[in-house]
Amino acid sequence: MVEINEKLLRGIIEDLLEEMQVKEEAVSFKTEKTSEECESNEFLTEIGEAKQGTSKDEVVIALAPAFGKYQTKSIVDVPHKQILREIIAGIEEEGLKARVIRVFRSSDVAFVAVEADRLSGSGVAIGIQSRGTALIHQKDLQPLSNLELFPQAPLITLETYRAMGKNAAKYAKGESPNPVPMVNDQMARPKFQAKAALLHIKETKHVVTGKNAVELKVNF
Amino acid sequence: MKSKRFEVLANRPVNQDGFVKEWIEEGLIAMESPKDPKPSIQIVNGEVVELDGKAKADFDLIDHFIARYGINLERAEEVIKMNSCELAKMLVDPNVPRREIVTLTTSMTPAKIVEVVSHMNVVEMMMAMQKMRSRKRPTTQAHVTNLRDNPVQIAADAAEAAIRGFDEQETTVAVVRYAPFNALSLLVGSQTGRGGVLTQCSLEEATELDLGMRGLTCYAETISVYGTDPVFTDGDDTPWSKGFLASAYASRGLKMRFTSGTGSEVQMGYAEGKSMLYLEARCIFITKAAGVQGLQNGSISCIGIPGSVPSGIRAVLAENLITTMLDLEVASGNDQTFSHSDIRRTARLLMQFLPGTDYISSGYSATPNYDNMFAGSNFDAEDFDDYNILQRDLKVDGGLNPVTEEEVVTVRNKAARALQQVFEKLGLPPITDEEVTAATYAHGSKDMPERNMVEDIKAAGEMMERGITGLDVVKALSDGGFTDVAQSVLNMLKQRVSGDYLHTSSIIDKDWNVISAINDQNDYAGPGTGYRLEGERWEKLKNIAVAIDGNEL
Amino acid sequence: MNQELIEKMVRDILQEKNSVAGTVSAEKSGVTLTVADYPLVNKRPELVKTTTKKTLEEITLEKVMDGTITPADVRVTADTLILQAQIARDAGRTTLAKNFERAAEMTKVPDDRILEIYNALRPYRSSKEELESIANELENQYGAVICANFVREAAELYARRKKLKGDN
Repeated sequence: MVEINEKLLRGIIEDLLEEMQVKEEAVSFKTEKTSEECESNEFLTEIGEAKQGTSKDEVVIALAPAFGKYQTKSIVDVPHKQILREIIAGIEEEGLKARVIRVFRSSDVAFVAVEADRLSGSGVAIGIQSRGTALIHQKDLQPLSNLELFPQAPLITLETYRAMGKNAAKYAKGESPNPVPMVNDQMARPKFQAKAALLHIKETKHVVTGKNAVELKVNF
Repeated sequence: MKSKRFEVLANRPVNQDGFVKEWIEEGLIAMESPKDPKPSIQIVNGEVVELDGKAKADFDLIDHFIARYGINLERAEEVIKMNSCELAKMLVDPNVPRREIVTLTTSMTPAKIVEVVSHMNVVEMMMAMQKMRSRKRPTTQAHVTNLRDNPVQIAADAAEAAIRGFDEQETTVAVVRYAPFNALSLLVGSQTGRGGVLTQCSLEEATELDLGMRGLTCYAETISVYGTDPVFTDGDDTPWSKGFLASAYASRGLKMRFTSGTGSEVQMGYAEGKSMLYLEARCIFITKAAGVQGLQNGSISCIGIPGSVPSGIRAVLAENLITTMLDLEVASGNDQTFSHSDIRRTARLLMQFLPGTDYISSGYSATPNYDNMFAGSNFDAEDFDDYNILQRDLKVDGGLNPVTEEEVVTVRNKAARALQQVFEKLGLPPITDEEVTAATYAHGSKDMPERNMVEDIKAAGEMMERGITGLDVVKALSDGGFTDVAQSVLNMLKQRVSGDYLHTSSIIDKDWNVISAINDQNDYAGPGTGYRLEGERWEKLKNIAVAIDGNEL
Repeated sequence: MNQELIEKMVRDILQEKNSVAGTVSAEKSGVTLTVADYPLVNKRPELVKTTTKKTLEEITLEKVMDGTITPADVRVTADTLILQAQIARDAGRTTLAKNFERAAEMTKVPDDRILEIYNALRPYRSSKEELESIANELENQYGAVICANFVREAAELYARRKKLKGDN
């Protein structure tokens, strides 16, 4: 009983802290364009705690804490809304269903996906960060292992996101698809790494230890 | 009006690089953050109760680990009181032997060691590095990967890299499930080039250990450690799990080193306002505490972060230096694309190239960078001639040597054929003669025919399920008529019986001698001492193909 | 100093045990190896044996081909690791020596179990009781006393620093 109480208390405090954090962010966002975009871009509605899925024909897409909420574009300015639309379309093309959740415990792309594959009825999940980094993960793998990893966010196109959704669905069906062809640009790091770090720092501000994932309704 | 001069400058490659201003609260500062702790240590009954301004009650897991295992306590209280600038002078002074100063540097705390190196400019750091590197002979490491995880190409590139002088080779994967094939191809290819080259496959920690236990790799390197507690957790480990892993490797007779680097904590979002170098110093102490023989650092995959702030490349040299000050092997980075500017990437290399380190690069891309699955290295296969000429210009041994086209073609072909036999004997998807020819003459994966990746991935998985080990590879090579390569792979397996190569900074030479910081101690004590590039080795490095012979004019 | 004392005791016991195990090891004659004995392969080949008591010379290509040599023959033994620990200590590398001593204990633990224990030590994987039970297993089943204490230390600190199962 003590443990539950402690957990409950922690949850309440964390929620409170998160609310406070949101307000702080709102102030600091004043000078940035994104604040307007945030409002016009509210395509994600939280509809309660994410539940354990039972249907074998679903792939869970797990968003990092700031995705589509505090940040709205990838590192190369691809709108989050479009990214999500392509991933979902890829999954649906294979005849499967996409379920979207937001993860709070971590901003690390692997751990975002790990939390999701445990909730996924098929055991397959896609994790994605605000800057655009993504991976496909499956329940029985070590967290830092993966089925496919897309580490170089600046190089991921909308077609790649669609192919990612398609492949995730194929894994969920028990198939062994050809991995989405890797693109490699060795100059992405010198150009984008510092910016990537800044975006990740901003995402990490929204991590909430101990907070369960929430289910999202997507309104395109 | 717009200035034409500024227009030209704006188009220079260096202006494609990302630069940011220091942001102290988020740790975007290379060295000397006002938020870095001041050095202190308090020991009561042999136990550290205060470390760098923090009381034991406030220790995080990293502090606990360093306090319990990482500092030589006998002289710790004496050293903390010594003047840091005087200690820095001792490091630079060739008259103070390495042996003597190591007893002081291994008694420092993380904040103290950072304070000491902060007194030094890069030339002084290089002078210190020349003395503090633990193995006398410098060398370097290669990356061997490709965009399609093509095994035949890996084998051929590994063989070529071996004759070009790389004593260590590292591969990784584009697709994780290819890993067993990449490890196998690298092993066969490298041993075809030169028996004794050490190979590894960079993967998720548990998988990497598994491949090592099976004898498909010879050592491990990507055992990452981090300088703040939340980042360590996101790296899916703790100092204790990493310490256990370190001993697990040794228990199988496998060499290993840890990996860390400035900027990783910023990159992963939890720098706690400390400077990159201070956090990296904690990683180096964790490595020491775990009892690991060495460390790969020099920012590594995060180089874009220190590279973007003032004094960042100096901090990278400083972290390499601190590693040697803790008496650890250093594999000193230069392993990731760092700049669009050839001037900048060369300047960055010289910091380690000039003084020499245990592995100057970790590693140098032995393929064109488009095939480098570590997202590109600072130097690649297209820079081989530049690198050789830098060695010749400056009379510096950077670990490589010139080779002829004929030698390269021969050894690439042999490696491809050897792997073809191994695949056949082990019942893996066949390698065609067409692929062997393509790999013999290829520059990169664009020159290779496509393989059926789905089939390869499936076979790679089955290979693990069937429990294929290094001994099966030996048998397959011998059955396939490659007795010499079979013998070399067997000799690599025998290394894990004697354990000689578990010691600091070990490499294995062409005659199967283990050379390490024990039998090849760095004894630099000023001009005329330490490692000198001379004799046969210098003759070899001088001899580049494009040099005109006056007698033949 | 308590911990060091315990470690020293364990080391002594371990060394005794190893020499009792019967290989022609240096401890038996009471000699401790130094850097002068390095590399063992060249300087003290007689001290290096495989887990199946073969010498390095006996590991030949012919014997691999006829199946006499198995994976068990290309493995380091606890004895050899203890010898290498002595050399590391003589070279002034105490922490490396300690690592070799932990490793010596681990030679008895099977590959799969090593991987499982490593994974159990990762963050948020195990409860305190689970870690303590691993420690007891290491101590009782494999005689791995240093490793057991290492795991116990982790269990205690994970509890304090919130790295146990359910803490995330």
